[in-house]
Amino acid sequence: MSTTPLAMIEIRAVTKRFGRFAAVDRVSLTVRAGEFITLLGPSGCGKTTLLRLLAGFETPDEGQILLDGMEVSHLPPYRRNVNQVFQSYALFPHLTVRENVGFGLRMKNVPAADAGPRIRDALAMVSLDEMADRFPHQLSGGQRQRVALARAIVCRPKVLLLDEPLSALDAKLRHTMQLELKHLHKKLGLTFVFVTHDQEEALTMSDRIAVINRGQIEQLGDASEIYHKPRTAFAADFIGQANLLNVTVTGRNGTTARVRLDNGLELTVAAAGLPATAKSALVSIRPEKICISKQRMDSENVFAAHIEEEIFRGATDQLRLVTEQGTKLNALVANESAMQEAFHEGDRVWCGLHLDDVVIVQTD
Amino acid sequence: MSAVPAATELAPTDSRRPGWRAWALLAPMVLWLLAFVVVPTAILLVYSFCERDEVGGVIFTFTWENYHRVFDPVYLRIFVRSVYYAGLTTVICVVLGYPVAYYIARASVERRNQLLLLVMVPFWTSFLIRTYAWITILKQDGLLNGLLLSMNFITEPLGLLYTPTAVVIGLVYAYLPFMILPIYGSAEKLDNSLIEAAHDLGAGPVRAFSSVIVPLTMPGIAAGTLLVFVPAIGMFAITDLMGGAKVPMIGNVIQNQFLQARDWPFGAALGVIFMLMFALTYVILQSRGARHAT
Amino acid sequence: MKAIKTLILTLVASFAATALHAAGELNLFGWSEYVPQDVLEGFTKETGIKVNFETYASNEELLSKLVAGGGNYDLIQPSEYAAELMIRRKMLAPLDKAKLPNLKNLDPELKGQVHDPEDNFTVPYMSGTVGIVVNTEVVKTPIKGYKDVFQAKFKDRLVVLNDNRELVTWALYSLGLPINEINPAALAKARPVVAEWVKLVKVFDSDSPKTALLNGDVDLGIVWSGEAAILWNENKKFQYVLPAEGAHRFIDILAIPANAPHKAEAHAFINYILRPEVSKIVSENFPYTNPNLGARQLLTAEQLANPASYPPAGAKLQTFRDIGKAAADIDKLVTDLKSAQ
Repeated sequence: MSTTPLAMIEIRAVTKRFGRFAAVDRVSLTVRAGEFITLLGPSGCGKTTLLRLLAGFETPDEGQILLDGMEVSHLPPYRRNVNQVFQSYALFPHLTVRENVGFGLRMKNVPAADAGPRIRDALAMVSLDEMADRFPHQLSGGQRQRVALARAIVCRPKVLLLDEPLSALDAKLRHTMQLELKHLHKKLGLTFVFVTHDQEEALTMSDRIAVINRGQIEQLGDASEIYHKPRTAFAADFIGQANLLNVTVTGRNGTTARVRLDNGLELTVAAAGLPATAKSALVSIRPEKICISKQRMDSENVFAAHIEEEIFRGATDQLRLVTEQGTKLNALVANESAMQEAFHEGDRVWCGLHLDDVVIVQTD
Repeated sequence: MSAVPAATELAPTDSRRPGWRAWALLAPMVLWLLAFVVVPTAILLVYSFCERDEVGGVIFTFTWENYHRVFDPVYLRIFVRSVYYAGLTTVICVVLGYPVAYYIARASVERRNQLLLLVMVPFWTSFLIRTYAWITILKQDGLLNGLLLSMNFITEPLGLLYTPTAVVIGLVYAYLPFMILPIYGSAEKLDNSLIEAAHDLGAGPVRAFSSVIVPLTMPGIAAGTLLVFVPAIGMFAITDLMGGAKVPMIGNVIQNQFLQARDWPFGAALGVIFMLMFALTYVILQSRGARHAT
Repeated sequence: MKAIKTLILTLVASFAATALHAAGELNLFGWSEYVPQDVLEGFTKETGIKVNFETYASNEELLSKLVAGGGNYDLIQPSEYAAELMIRRKMLAPLDKAKLPNLKNLDPELKGQVHDPEDNFTVPYMSGTVGIVVNTEVVKTPIKGYKDVFQAKFKDRLVVLNDNRELVTWALYSLGLPINEINPAALAKARPVVAEWVKLVKVFDSDSPKTALLNGDVDLGIVWSGEAAILWNENKKFQYVLPAEGAHRFIDILAIPANAPHKAEAHAFINYILRPEVSKIVSENFPYTNPNLGARQLLTAEQLANPASYPPAGAKLQTFRDIGKAAADIDKLVTDLKSAQ
């Protein structure tokens, strides 16, 4: 692998309109060679259109798309060195697994002597060697998924596009496939562009995540950055759970600042995220960052609350807290072992918050 | 114990076997088929082994004579020619009908319905009237010759009517909708992502068409072929009206047995052989289509 | 209970009504395009008898329906050779001539024909011939008989009836052979003649042979005289010629099937149609040769001058006799020759 990261994909201010609606709105994005990037967003946000622009199924109305340094904006899909795994797999029902996987090689007129081993390798890579002579309808959902993968990688594309490839699988299989995809990515060293609306999937698999909303990239960063430092209310809300609260800035003290919630609770936050002129802001507090104890603890932000509701969620307990001032907060605690304190509905508790866990997502 | 029967009634053990309610619903159709398909076919079969009397009635004996006559070279030659004309018609219908059907299937829903309506408009008029319209177009001082003459493409009117070409034109015209509709049915069900997948894997328009679209719409082509080929073999009105009845087709021969030669048993034998050919075509298409069916 | 009684009574009453009504009915089974609607309506208007009209397109169709026992027909319209067969097979009811005073109007020439020598079963409706139509604007050479029509120079300029027996009959005439003796020897002689002829024909059409002539697709035809008469009415360039070698004359007759349920009504209809003023309507619509001399007197000079309707006397005319199973041999012969092209 080269030490200087190369730009495998460059999207330059691309816009794609359907009628008057801009599905992709002046998006720019650079993807390094070998990177696993996820386009994450709700349905209708434009992530799939962006992927289709890369595949060549759509052509941009404005802007350019470069693939490995070459402009491909108006190249048809069959002239681009990218391959896609479709959401519905799009396996050819009239062809066997082997013929499906070999389809791309046949279209590229790869000689049979060459194609045979490549098909075998691709099938071995997805552990489907046994199934080569079956038809798609004779396979399970997970197996079809693997055929679709093998069919896409056998052509050795520069970029592999994956359009919500796991959405049709049940939860357990989805987790297995997530790991398999990650391994495959490592093994092949290909550039993966992965589209999903499942934030957990995005966080698990990606090197970087582009959070997309209304045709634009709201935030681009690695999983931890996206999760811990959401830059917009949308990003904070869409990824994981968040308590989003409106606050008024009441004072500054060097590296920290004081903010007050609408109903009176005051918190200390890091001043870094808060511009000097900001009078009010929106802050995000992840539920699991709220530290809860029956004893008062020592922290920048400590306040009392009572547990209004407790929702059992297996490994975790979701607690609905109401502070003395009346602010409602969601908190998430590990389901206690017998050695630890237990929390129940109606309990009065102390809550602690580290100032770095109060993330300023928006100011005005 | 008392609660159990109700439960079993609600959960049929074999959901594929129709219950009495299903039979009640099917009864009209079964009776219809029995009265108008099974019984006439049985009569045809029985007649084909009988002898004719001088008036044209049927004498109930058992003889293979009629089948011997079917395999007389005279009739075999006509069979072969009928198959040839029907085959040519089918091929032309596929070539003309496929793009139309495919285009309709890929159009927006609203437009699709309009276009389908246009395909079916000819059925609103009697078949004979439409055939006479073609005579008006093709005759010596007809519309087509008039147009070609006035545009100076030709100096002498073309003798189009009462030629084999006119027969094929008439057959294609009559049967084209029966090719378009089933292909449309197949093409409409064709998942667009399969075509995209083909393009994605490097197939240009031509190869995507030949290796994905055609195989996947094969059931429609097969159904259309059956609907065009088989009736086209037996067609007699078009060969009479547009072909000038010069070259008999098997349909004309059968018609003659009933309406001119007063030889019902022989006509019946020809009909039985004709049905066997239908069945054979069907079986061949089915077995070839089986691989693609699912 | 009362409701059921009422229902039954209503049903009985309606059955009775139908039965009464049925007494005033006539089931006519005739050629398509051969009985004017005015005649049917006039008859109903005058007698109150309702006419149920069903049609057929060939004698063979008529025969097979009667043999199959389908339909209770009261009056049929076969050609003479089919009538001959039906008389032999006792399929026709004898006529009650007392109920048919208008028989007096008929041309005596058409009485006592071979198919019904005593005129016990049949009444002529219309008669006609099969002859040659010449478009004299195009064909300048004289056309007198079959051999003049079937010349190589007229290839693809001919329309002839799509009727296998007619075709063979013309060949037999041209060979000087009897037309009603169909045997292997006669067919063997006719075969090469027919073989040459079918190659020259552009259109075979029995239903409307005039169409090809009117459209200009052909210049010569051998057609029903009624078709030729219509052509002549259309344009005098279409001349009708009775072939010198001899021509087929057909007589379409009216007859009552032996099992007819309404024989009285059938007689009434026959007598009605034999009236000169009624028969005249038939002639106006279908310009064949009207055997009703009274009706002929009512026709216009032009109608009578139509050479196809009323050809000059002296031509050799013959009717068909039933040939039984030989029809199948003719069918095979012509089918073979046509498909050999």
